[in-house]
Amino acid sequence: MRRASRGGDESGTGAPRQNGVSGARGGARGAAADRGDTVAGGDDDEAGCSPADMQDEDNDPARRREIRSKYRDLINSVQQNREDMLSPTNNKLTDVLEEANKLFAEVRQAREAALDAQLLVLATDLGKEKASQLHAEGSAFDPAAFAEHLLSFMGLNRLEEEDEDVEGGASGGYLPQDAWQRVANRAQRCFRTAPSFHYMMGSFLAELPPPRQRVERQRKVPGKEAKRIMPTQLKRMEESHQEATEKEVERILGYLRSYFFDDPTSPISYYEFVIDPTSFSRSVENIFHTSFLVRDGLAKMYLDNHKLPCIAPVEEGEVEAGGASNRQQCVISISPKSWKELIEAFDITEPLIHAPSTQHTE
Amino acid sequence: MSQRKRASNTQSSQNKGSQRWEAVLGDDEDDPSFTQPSTSQVQKGLDRLTPAQVDLKTAEVVQFIFVKDQKKFPIRRADIVKHVVKEYRNIYPEIIKRVGCVFETVFGLKLVEIDSKNHVYILINKLEQGVTASLVFPSNPKTGLLFVILSIVFMKGGVVKESMVWNTLKKLRVDQGERHEIFGDVKKVVTDEFVRQRYLEYVRIPHTEPLEFEFRWGQRADMEVSKVKLLEFIGQVRHCRLPG
Repeated sequence: MRRASRGGDESGTGAPRQNGVSGARGGARGAAADRGDTVAGGDDDEAGCSPADMQDEDNDPARRREIRSKYRDLINSVQQNREDMLSPTNNKLTDVLEEANKLFAEVRQAREAALDAQLLVLATDLGKEKASQLHAEGSAFDPAAFAEHLLSFMGLNRLEEEDEDVEGGASGGYLPQDAWQRVANRAQRCFRTAPSFHYMMGSFLAELPPPRQRVERQRKVPGKEAKRIMPTQLKRMEESHQEATEKEVERILGYLRSYFFDDPTSPISYYEFVIDPTSFSRSVENIFHTSFLVRDGLAKMYLDNHKLPCIAPVEEGEVEAGGASNRQQCVISISPKSWKELIEAFDITEPLIHAPSTQHTE
Repeated sequence: MSQRKRASNTQSSQNKGSQRWEAVLGDDEDDPSFTQPSTSQVQKGLDRLTPAQVDLKTAEVVQFIFVKDQKKFPIRRADIVKHVVKEYRNIYPEIIKRVGCVFETVFGLKLVEIDSKNHVYILINKLEQGVTASLVFPSNPKTGLLFVILSIVFMKGGVVKESMVWNTLKKLRVDQGERHEIFGDVKKVVTDEFVRQRYLEYVRIPHTEPLEFEFRWGQRADMEVSKVKLLEFIGQVRHCRLPG
């Protein structure tokens, strides 16, 4: 308004801020002329109607600098004291604007006007923020108080002595490990999150072999310490296990045949045949090996007139391929006690099946 | 940028002359060689394929989206086309439509295109999460951190300066300058991870010296978070008693 009254402005409109723009235009034309020439101060494009003394003032470089410096001060103070200006408790922003308005009255050149524009932009930003603050006042949400309450929710164990040590006025105390987990679990309910994809049971891993090996080793260890003699025996047996059985069976067949052909009419008592009065275990082995003969159809067992079991080799012609319909199974068991009874009953003094030449025991 | 898009859209054949655009634009642009086929093109494409083929392709896309969604970063259409759809791209609209159906009817999830310009999708749940779910499947502690920030922004009208958020978090023993026991580099989690997941927006405030930022809710938060439930929880927290 003051600007228009001076009449120094070419466009001469009433509204002050519009003047600012057109003033810049006018000033620009003038500035373009004297850009390299501020000392000389030749601002001849200015409208010729302004009085001479005013023209001098307008062109005075010191004055120009002063105005620009004042603008810069205002801009700095706005930037530095931004928080202060935003506070709804004061009107500092309004003061700044009034100050700027006063300054603007003396703006002549583009440089000053540019600074004015910059200040205006800052001021409007602040104004916008202040306005948004006005809106928020009604809800009265205090984040600091919210934080305190949240700490309680998290299960903060407040210790009263610690209060003075803590910085920033925050609560002292011990926050439990699962504090954030607690908040997260409760907060998750507010979200409609899609569950994250993951495999249910993880990848398949075959882990069975190692445990088995371990168990086996463990079993072997006590065996080694307990009887040092036994392993060597067992090893021998295992090595030629198959062969030993076959050989033994054949050997026994040999005995059976030779006894039978010595006296074909006289039946061979089964128990006399298999029992070794000197060794129970060998008797059991004999029974075991003899059973193979019967299974393979090379020997037959029958009951004689006294209902006592007898054994006889089967002649070649008698052998029926693929099993006979009159074949029967029986199970023979023997215990040391019955073994002794048999020895007594049959009066067995020496084994009919001699022990094999290779000794098992040393 | 809009001119380039127009140019590629007017090409009738999808691959004609588009290779040079790929070289120019690089990876972070929507794949310009993919132009949305017209309905008639889609129909023609469908006619040439068996239903089994289309179903298989649909299933592959569903699985791809599931795996991509694990980190909760949005899924780009360009990636779907490049890695899964491939030569079936001429029926892409039909496939994506079926994929959406599968998600809804089989899994109760919703595939949402949150950015129709850059063609980026997220997966959200159509169903509400029950109370017992959090007991059986403990959630990520980061959800707690996110909740705090979202609450502050919400209660302060939708926009908040970052300084207010950091100050509040400091009271909760979370400092952007220090490595947190649970969250690690907190500043990165909040300003990078949450932003990439579209839970938050971290926007520069213009004309600030030094540089300042403000937080807003992100698109994912807008879709996933129930404001009513959030308020309920905030109210519940307010009722927690303070000593003295």
